[in-house]
Amino acid sequence: MPYDPGKDVIEVVRHPPRSAAASTYRIFGETLRGMKTTLARVVEGPLTIQYPEEKTPVYPRFRGRHKLHRFETGDPDNPGLEKCVGCSLCAAACPADCIRVVAAENTPEHRVSAGERYAAVYEINLSRCIFCGYCEVACPFDAITMGHDYEMSDYTRSDLIFTKEMLLAEPLERTPLRAAGE
Amino acid sequence: MPRPERKLISLTIDGREVQAVEGTMLVDAARAADVEIPYFCYEPKLGAPVGACRMCLVEIEGIPKLQTSCSTPVRDGMVVNTTVERVKEAQNSIVEFLLVNHPLDCPVCDKGGECPLQDITFGWGKGRTRVIEPKRHFVKPLALSPLIAIDRERCILCYRCVRFSQEIAEDWQLIFTERGAHTFVGTHDGHPYVAPFSGNIIELCPVGALTSRPYRFRARPWDVEGSGGVCTLCPSQCNVEFTVRDDKVTRVLARENPGVDDGWLCDKGRFAYQAIHVDERITTPLVRGADGELRPAGWDEALEAAGALAEHRGRAAALIGGQASNEEAFLLARLLREGLGSGDIDSRLGAAGELDLNLMRALAAPALQASVSDLEFAHIVLVLGTEPIDDSPILDLRIRKGVRRNGVKLAIASARPSALDHNAKLAIRFAPGGEAEFLESLEWALGTPGSGETHELAALLRDGGEEVVILWGESLSAPARATLLRIADRLGLAERQGAGLLEVPLGTNARGIREAGALPGAGPGYGEASPGRSAAQIAAAAAAGEIGALHLFQIDPLRELPDRDGWERALAGAKLVVAHAATLTDGLARHADVIFPAESGAEKDGTVVHPDGRLQRLRSAIRRPGEVRAGWQVLADLAKRVGLDTGVLTAGMAFRQLIAAVPFYEGLTLEAIGGRGLRWPETEAAAAMPAPGPLAAAAGASATPAASGPRAEANGHLLAGTYRSIWAASEVEISPALRFAVAEQVVELSPQDADRLGIEDGAAVRVAQNGTRLRGRAAIRSGVPAGTAFLAAGIAEESANALTEPLVEVSKL
Ligand code: SF4
Ligand code: SF4
Ligand code: SF4
Ligand code: SF4
Ligand code: FES
Repeated sequence: MPYDPGKDVIEVVRHPPRSAAASTYRIFGETLRGMKTTLARVVEGPLTIQYPEEKTPVYPRFRGRHKLHRFETGDPDNPGLEKCVGCSLCAAACPADCIRVVAAENTPEHRVSAGERYAAVYEINLSRCIFCGYCEVACPFDAITMGHDYEMSDYTRSDLIFTKEMLLAEPLERTPLRAAGE
Repeated sequence: MPRPERKLISLTIDGREVQAVEGTMLVDAARAADVEIPYFCYEPKLGAPVGACRMCLVEIEGIPKLQTSCSTPVRDGMVVNTTVERVKEAQNSIVEFLLVNHPLDCPVCDKGGECPLQDITFGWGKGRTRVIEPKRHFVKPLALSPLIAIDRERCILCYRCVRFSQEIAEDWQLIFTERGAHTFVGTHDGHPYVAPFSGNIIELCPVGALTSRPYRFRARPWDVEGSGGVCTLCPSQCNVEFTVRDDKVTRVLARENPGVDDGWLCDKGRFAYQAIHVDERITTPLVRGADGELRPAGWDEALEAAGALAEHRGRAAALIGGQASNEEAFLLARLLREGLGSGDIDSRLGAAGELDLNLMRALAAPALQASVSDLEFAHIVLVLGTEPIDDSPILDLRIRKGVRRNGVKLAIASARPSALDHNAKLAIRFAPGGEAEFLESLEWALGTPGSGETHELAALLRDGGEEVVILWGESLSAPARATLLRIADRLGLAERQGAGLLEVPLGTNARGIREAGALPGAGPGYGEASPGRSAAQIAAAAAAGEIGALHLFQIDPLRELPDRDGWERALAGAKLVVAHAATLTDGLARHADVIFPAESGAEKDGTVVHPDGRLQRLRSAIRRPGEVRAGWQVLADLAKRVGLDTGVLTAGMAFRQLIAAVPFYEGLTLEAIGGRGLRWPETEAAAAMPAPGPLAAAAGASATPAASGPRAEANGHLLAGTYRSIWAASEVEISPALRFAVAEQVVELSPQDADRLGIEDGAAVRVAQNGTRLRGRAAIRSGVPAGTAFLAAGIAEESANALTEPLVEVSKL
């Protein structure tokens, strides 16, 4: 049924009719002009990659999942003392409030860190973390740094709460680092 | 004693005209005017400023050198500059200087985040130092006591802790050793700083030099929340702030209230919070099974079992301990009177006899009530039959403050030597149990000239000044109370402002519980009620099988009440014993049939009444652990089981019922009570306090047991008195940090008797009486009168609660 606007519509304003040549140019010419950029880049090859078989390399200062560090001893059987003293400064700095530290006291029999105290519990809730890196900046002992790993998705939220053991473990470096000048 | 007058003057601070009360220190006046002057050593609670740290320097026009604003009182027309270049330079230099030897180990320091040194360095320091020399080192951390860790490297020598020890607690233990840069805080010979108030120095220290060992590394200020509450461990009812992390109390701080605690706490209040979160705590209802074993049960099962109270209608009795709130006491009294048709309820601890309601009303008369601050400003304070340091520790500090700063004349009249004896003008000893006799002689001496120490005291009370405050202990016998009333009357205490009586009860909330009606023969607001039996009579009746059911609300009579054997028989004689308790004490473990888990003071929601009539609010700071339910709720549910609908569905409803039932609480609301409390004797509703009828003639008749009773005998028997140490509390026993302080049987002997019996200080002794034997350790105190011995009551083992007679035989073990 043809549309009858009725008496409410007084006049419909349309652009002036185009000529045939103008219409043809509009269809092909303009489109080709737009494709120029695309076609000029075709020779460069595709930029998309086959994730997860291939991974985008990250920059050295990329802020991925955190690592907690130990003092290095060079001896794999004798891991060094933890650098973290459980001072909670990272927790104070964290804008997402996703770090939880419960400190305890080192004893001569049970020495975990170099200071008087150590972190008995150290947890980061990575589902809340915004990867701002403030924790790294706040730490007076360079005990926590942001690594390069960005592959952290999981099936349950609770698995995203990383414990001290998980953060201390050597992370699987799954992410290639961008080479200098790359 | 006249309170300081408040006269306003004006001065100029940083170009602004500000008003201040004459005599205030410049730093306070500036703060009131929103000008912040940094300081470390200034702390008005500690008395006169000492000017030790120099952080508070300001420029005062007309004085060439910079002045310490903490020790310069304001003067009219003074012109002060706090931000000029000279002052800034001085502040920078002081910070730099204080940090010369400071280790700056903030990340491992427990003060970090709440440290004035951090804040002031950040706000007024330069941010850099020129000092590259090695710092001074000490061994650290060290234990200054089992409760306090000291890190001497961090100390900035501000004198606060030393001043506290020397001028507030007056235990004279802390001193500065060495001089100059080598100065450090310690005790004379390096012994641990153990004292009833030692924990306060943790809060006083402006750096992390003195930190709490139980709180060590538990949390940072940003991990925790503070929750205002009231300490329920003794009648002082100090205002506290619970530091809560993860729903656990991790620390207790003072919440300064000049009308209650003056900003101090004792170590029991400060550290016994640990009892809230120990395994010993009962967190589920317990029911005794057919096999006689107590085992955990669900609430329904426990309420069902306790509902058997209904079978003992008319033959049930209840006792209530000092830690109950007013609402709980009120509901328990309703449960017993309305639900079980019995008037046998008592809340008085100690050897209280039959209740004399008129006497109780007369002693609680609003006009006669002195307040805690009156202790500090009175002309004369008489401490009668109580030992503040044990019975209400914070009052001990208040009295010392009055004597030291305001020249209060202190007199002590007690059986047991007091820690305040040295501060007193006059210390009079009477025989244990001889207080009635003593008071009568005092009354007589008030009217008759004569000589001797009683007359000296009478003269002091009569002529020493207008404002006389008598601090008396609840253990005073009825005749003694009647005499005390007559003395108060004679001295006109009711008519004078700032004078009066102040009772030190034996239980935390004894006053509130009484006012809520948990007394034999007295209902809410000291009103008339059906007659009932006192605790001692309940014990006798239960032992004789006349009482079928006993309801024990937060009290273990074996522990809290005298005559242990009598109670043992009573508990065994009762068919049903229902208890509410937080820990399984001896008597309950053996005799209770149903135990409901009780809340701790940090979990309760309700009100309590301070001995001076101040209603205070308890608010729950943490979630109740395990299955614990609110006390009012359990009582209301239980009432329902026995067929009484209390109509209480929330804590607030219980409070409103209480207010409606007590005439002199009229118009009180929780909002009005607020965080600081409200003294009802000062409200208009106080006029509704029932007037006492004529006192029974028998009360005050001269024949008291002690007057005619036995004296020390030649055969070596000693007249025994009891005391309840500050540490005698089940909370202390289960707090890991306070293990070292747990009260044991310490038998206090006079040097003469010790000599005669060949007992050395600290030796093991045996106390015997009628076949009851207690073991203890002897302590020889020079103040103990010859022929007497004082024994610890209220303790877990070897407690003097077992004794029933006034004479004991003490021998070396
Ligand atoms: S990166 Fe930022 S948000 Fe994440 S844990 Fe650190 S401070 Fe918190
Ligand atoms: S990671 Fe660093 S900032 Fe965080 S608690 Fe440990 S030491 Fe402190
Ligand atoms: S220990 Fe603390 S309170 Fe005592 S002098 Fe040193 S800094 Fe001051
Ligand atoms: S004096 Fe009493 S109320 Fe105050 S903290 Fe100590 S136990 Fe608690
Ligand atoms: S605060 Fe004035 S000198 Fe310390």
